Amino acid sequence: MAQEKTYIEDIERTLYDIKNVDKSKYKSQSGLTEDIIRDISARKNDPDWMLEFRLKSLEVYNQLSLPNWGPDLSELNMDEIVTYVQPDAKMTGSWDEVPEDIKDTFDRLGIPEAEQTSLAGVGAQYDSEVVYHSIQEDLVKQGVIYTDMETALHEHEEIVRDHFMKLVPPKDHKFAALHGAVWSGGSFVYVPEGVHVEIPLQSYFRLNAAGAGQFEHTLIIVEKNASLHFIEGCSAPKYNVTNLHAGCVELFVNDGARLRYSTIENWSRNMMNLNTKRAVVGKDGVIEWVSGSFGSHVSMLYPCSVLKGENAKCEFTGVTFASKGQNLDTGASVIHCAPHTSANISTRTISKAGGKATYRSAVKVTKNAPYAKCSVNCESLMLDDISRSDTLPTMDIEGDEADIGHEATIGRISDEAIFYLMSRGISEDEARSMIVRGFVEPIAKELPLEYAVEMNNLVNIELEGTMG
Amino acid sequence: MNKEIFSEIPMRTWNWLGVNEAVVDRDLLVESQNLDIKIEAGHQEKMLVEYRKESCGTVNINIGENAVLKLTQLQLMPQNCNHVNEINVVLEKKAKLQLVAVETGAKSFASKVNIILKGDKSQADVSLLYFGDGDRSLDMNYVLEFQGRKTVGNLEVYGGLMGESQKIFRGTLDFKQGAKQAKGYEKENVVVLSSGVRNRSVPIMLSGEDDVVGNHAVSSGKINEDKLHYLMSRGLSPAEARKLVLEAAFNPVLELIDDEALRQEIDSYIKERLENE
Amino acid sequence: MEKLLNIKNLQVTVADNEAEDASKEILKGIDLQVNKGEIHVVLGPNGSGKSTLMNAIMGHPKYEIAGGSLEFEGEDLTELKTFERARKGIFLSFQTPEEIPGITVENMIRTAKQAVTGENIKVIKFRRELKAAMKELQMDESYAQRYMNVGFSGGEKKRNEILQMLMLQPKLALLDETDSGLDVDAIQIVSNGVKKFHNEDNACLIITHNTRILKQLNVDKVHVMMQGKFVAEGGPELIEKIDKEGFGFLQGAE
Repeated sequence: MAQEKTYIEDIERTLYDIKNVDKSKYKSQSGLTEDIIRDISARKNDPDWMLEFRLKSLEVYNQLSLPNWGPDLSELNMDEIVTYVQPDAKMTGSWDEVPEDIKDTFDRLGIPEAEQTSLAGVGAQYDSEVVYHSIQEDLVKQGVIYTDMETALHEHEEIVRDHFMKLVPPKDHKFAALHGAVWSGGSFVYVPEGVHVEIPLQSYFRLNAAGAGQFEHTLIIVEKNASLHFIEGCSAPKYNVTNLHAGCVELFVNDGARLRYSTIENWSRNMMNLNTKRAVVGKDGVIEWVSGSFGSHVSMLYPCSVLKGENAKCEFTGVTFASKGQNLDTGASVIHCAPHTSANISTRTISKAGGKATYRSAVKVTKNAPYAKCSVNCESLMLDDISRSDTLPTMDIEGDEADIGHEATIGRISDEAIFYLMSRGISEDEARSMIVRGFVEPIAKELPLEYAVEMNNLVNIELEGTMG
Repeated sequence: MNKEIFSEIPMRTWNWLGVNEAVVDRDLLVESQNLDIKIEAGHQEKMLVEYRKESCGTVNINIGENAVLKLTQLQLMPQNCNHVNEINVVLEKKAKLQLVAVETGAKSFASKVNIILKGDKSQADVSLLYFGDGDRSLDMNYVLEFQGRKTVGNLEVYGGLMGESQKIFRGTLDFKQGAKQAKGYEKENVVVLSSGVRNRSVPIMLSGEDDVVGNHAVSSGKINEDKLHYLMSRGLSPAEARKLVLEAAFNPVLELIDDEALRQEIDSYIKERLENE
Repeated sequence: MEKLLNIKNLQVTVADNEAEDASKEILKGIDLQVNKGEIHVVLGPNGSGKSTLMNAIMGHPKYEIAGGSLEFEGEDLTELKTFERARKGIFLSFQTPEEIPGITVENMIRTAKQAVTGENIKVIKFRRELKAAMKELQMDESYAQRYMNVGFSGGEKKRNEILQMLMLQPKLALLDETDSGLDVDAIQIVSNGVKKFHNEDNACLIITHNTRILKQLNVDKVHVMMQGKFVAEGGPELIEKIDKEGFGFLQGAE
């Protein structure tokens, strides 16, 4: 039995791989120049300060070099990436007005259906622009704003200006700078003080055009004692050229507020997914991340939580599944800046068929954060001996009142566990499948039902136990 | 001053954490003395390396088939010295290494240990004790590389930090493809005694082989209050209680030092520092 | 009487961890016949091969059958995989049950029951039965929703084994030191569970060091194993003798 290999079927991608004919109304030239930025900005009718912001970001972009750590990004050639693709569609509040082929795409992904059954609001982005946005009437009455970033930039300019890339400044890293220069689309959510949005809002991002980049910006502000669950989904059909996703998510969780941010990322295997997500949490506030990384060719994704107010909390739950041709470098970081802040990070990674999965994290406890507590638990499962699994956590703790614990394990499915299940009449393949599903269960149970189902499909084990 | 990278972690991470490499004065590296040792197949040896005066060194060891080496390295440099030391070990088939390392001296030091479990069924057990006080700086980079089948590597680290001391401990278990049925375990327990301390830990686990068992754990926190309370309820002063608890925490390493006099020396060295706090 | 388990001259080896490509013989010719309605007990010092016998019957891949025959209800078992043996009606209560994170006790037993019976098990009826069985074993209901053996005490793990036995209703139950590490009360509970399970249509093969578990069971046959062989066989009176005198009097039998 020791020689047997487990074959786990790759995620059924046909659904995501249907590509539409590229009917975009406008595409920027590939590459990145000041002219392109000015052009994008003019087309988007940016206020002057935003154009300036974009140009400054471009400057920063040109000054910064690629990170000297993490996955190899040399395949990425910015001169070949089209930064702005405007679909031939106006933003609308009715699916009927969304062009047929684009609507079909979202239909196939089940978005309109989910909207009716389980969501309080939906946003849908196609290439660089948001094509659909809606929100339940009663939330609007309570002052909740859920719209695309462009609309927000014009209708709520002050709020946007006060928050936009304040948490993730362009100088943070090269792709943050790139994002600042060419961002387009994304969602804006504002939940006023004391308002609880009981049903989740969801934005879905779809990149259809080949060789393009998607740079959506998500800005969420949850005011004092308010709460929200926001879901983000991403997919793209597979092309033979490299696509780039360099989105940016900024979450402002104010005192006593609670935000759950769930993501299932299932980009196609030609995507470089270099996404930046950051939350700042006020006194007694809570940020909960639920993060599933399954797709893309290369990912670098480490949602960061800045626990700024006393007693602020972070819960991070993540699962990463790296298969053939994938290098998924994921994890989390937490910065404790106030007393009694606490964080729990729990991750599972699986690698198979030559895939590389890396868990990377940073826990920083500053001098201002006595009684900080943080516990990290990461488990890695390897399904064969041609894959890689690496774990690289760092803890940087100042002061003597912090309580920090970290645990990690790495290994494969235990033969003894298989024997145990088989002794109960469960077949070998089913036993393996059960163990893998059990392995990701702590994450699956945190996901909205339809995502949990999607994830379970993904972890479907093929009935194959051949001698290796 | 002329600086040079002395050690690097096997896999880089965010630069802002400052843990990717240890940079030291080039002079220290130039002064460093080399010691090459080969333990012949089947032999059993014990070695003691002490750093007490201004000295830096590298020890290169090859442990032959079925040979056993117990290496004890004590770094008890004066408080005004900078220091670097390095140990490189290659273990052949069924070779065994027990490494007991104590890093309690020097104003600022960097050490690196690189152990290659090359031969099948070779085993390395590493126990490290470090202690920092004042404004001392401690930098350690330990790597256990598993190449052979059924190799076993354990890395147990016990640390105490006080004053304004700064420490970086990087411990890597690196399972190479083909190291079937290898087992690796790493743990670091740090007791932090004062608020001015900066404590950085990087427990890395790398694997290109599925048929392995790897575990690592780090805990960092204050001295256990319940234990202190218990001891004080028996009449010990807070300082005495702390000494006792810390001594107990270090015991797993101290008891591995064969020479009673040396053990006493380290013990009183640490106690003295606790008293001067 | 109907034959259930029929073992003849069974020799079992295990891959030797120390020597390369060598294997060590553990069982050196075992004969054993267990009929429906019987309870057999295997006694013997540590390392004598008792657990190996259990694992060989269950088909643990680590153990290789080097000779002899192993039949269940007249059918050769040696070529069957572990789960196929389980589906024939063999159950092993493990000496150290595995922890399986992410799979709840309820999910596990229901999946197993479906696999063994080949039927779709209705949730509501199943839950009712599970609850009743848990009550019998004085297990808190909340354990149904906990992950298999994760964070269970030694005694809880053993009770969970007996729970599975009661729910799966095997024809032959192999109990490998199910009573070890348990306190007096827990032994009583486990013993009750076995008593409730046992009837004229099934059989038990019990390994134990502690004869307390046997007090309320009607043991039919006792086998004493030493160094991979049965060195003495007899009725329940053998238990008492060994209880009093240990295995010493058998040394000569080797």
